[in-house]
Amino acid sequence: MADPVTERSTTAARQPGADAPPGAPKIEVRGLRKVFASRRGEVTAIDGVDFSASAGEFVSIVGPSGCGKSTFLYIVGGFVDATDGTVVVDGSPITGPDPARGIVFQEFVLFPWKTVMGNVTYGLAEQGVPRSERRERARQLIETVKLTGFERHFPKELSGGMKQRVALARTLIMDPDILLMDEPFGAIDAQTRVILQAELIQIWERTKKTVLFVTHSVEEALYLSDKVYVLSGRPARVKEVIEVDLPRPRDPEQIVGTEAYGRLHRRIWGLLEQEHRAHGDDR
Amino acid sequence: MATTAEASGPGRRPGPAAAAIALPILSVAALLGLWELAPRIGLVRPTSVPPFSDVIAEVVTVLGRPEFLDNLGSSAQRWAAGFALAILIGIPLGTLMGRWRPLYNLVDPLLVVGYPVPKAALILIFVLWWGAGNVSRIGIIIVGCLIPIVISSYHGAHGIEPRLLWSARGLGTGRLGSWFRVILPAALPQILSGLRLAIAISIFTLLGSELLIRGSGMGAFMFTALDNGQTLVVFAMSTIIAVIGFMLDFLYVRAVRRGLPWLEGEI
Repeated sequence: MADPVTERSTTAARQPGADAPPGAPKIEVRGLRKVFASRRGEVTAIDGVDFSASAGEFVSIVGPSGCGKSTFLYIVGGFVDATDGTVVVDGSPITGPDPARGIVFQEFVLFPWKTVMGNVTYGLAEQGVPRSERRERARQLIETVKLTGFERHFPKELSGGMKQRVALARTLIMDPDILLMDEPFGAIDAQTRVILQAELIQIWERTKKTVLFVTHSVEEALYLSDKVYVLSGRPARVKEVIEVDLPRPRDPEQIVGTEAYGRLHRRIWGLLEQEHRAHGDDR
Repeated sequence: MATTAEASGPGRRPGPAAAAIALPILSVAALLGLWELAPRIGLVRPTSVPPFSDVIAEVVTVLGRPEFLDNLGSSAQRWAAGFALAILIGIPLGTLMGRWRPLYNLVDPLLVVGYPVPKAALILIFVLWWGAGNVSRIGIIIVGCLIPIVISSYHGAHGIEPRLLWSARGLGTGRLGSWFRVILPAALPQILSGLRLAIAISIFTLLGSELLIRGSGMGAFMFTALDNGQTLVVFAMSTIIAVIGFMLDFLYVRAVRRGLPWLEGEI
């Protein structure tokens, strides 16, 4: 039996870069702008963001709170329309949500009326995959996220960390090329967060999905990412793109003490601090 | 209920918990005791207020009478028809209002105006329009139940976390599929609260229509007893109807709890 996580989709369109010329980025965002209409007039949330991620890359997006980094992710997901600019995935502009771009939100937005098994198999059921097959694939994924034994539990019976494991499994079962994560561990206690980060890295290393990871934690971004986009305060612009050249596998406790980590950490903090001062943000 | 649980928590004396059980029993017993004694010692005329024990005995007699069962049957059919139609109209209307603003703007003023209108006042108008038959009786049940069902369905559908819908869309659910697989189940807890209110209202409007239109049904049966001076039957019928209302609510809550184990909080 093929592992649903490692097994690649056989449809050509889902192969990384199948439609794009070789070497082209997996995700390419150009001149992205988002203007919201509000009662006091128009508010520019995102103002001219360029962004690119290669296939298999782990890219974090950090920025001051409320800067529009989640909105950026929702636009790449196809849930929110951009005012201006283009989002190109595998060489084609996106037209809306797609299971090939899986998303995990900060709050645990599981279907409360479905069990763990029902939540994880939801996407396959939508595709018409027979019940026995989807349950089989779900069982392996539930094992991957270490929730075996909780298949029949409802979300209300789970802790925050467990809910987020279910959300991850529900997204991973669609075998997306791209994983969009909106501060997925933000609402989880510190110890559980460390465990979930390590498990996410294991899954990513095994499946080599392209990950866009929004976080407000510099430590988290440095531990997980190949590349960190630092966004400015509202309206969001790209302040700097920082390559994280720390060797993998990374030990979360050991890298903190290294000189390279310290340099990167000071650099990102310096950028964020400038933003906080510029916007008078007290957080 | 919450106070009972608090009072019986660890480290508490049993006193408050015992009192929480004893005091309600005391008040109910006092009421029933007064009901029993007042006519017997001559405080009220037994023809106005028959003693409680006589009423209970009459309840048993009434339950065995074939004409009672006939009238119960007509009432039950009207109730089921009115309640079912209110659900069939109210849930789609309310959820559509919750997801489509123009419909909300169109219907909401009617609800605001209709809400405080006593439904009993409409019964005679319905009779003018549709005659003294089942259309009027069922119509008044529908109108009475529709408002809580529409309002609760509206709130349930309107308040859905957008990212819950996005999650489904991201997993391949289309716009039409979202209605059945996300919006309706997500709105269900609030819809079920609205249905519980509607059950209480439906009993009230059913009885009101039968008391005014007469003909057949529990209300008509009761009114005929009053006309014939059978005070005891009137009291027995009131008791039976009160118990039916209580049982419907009790069974409804039990059924929802059992059928939907994922529900959080009260309905």
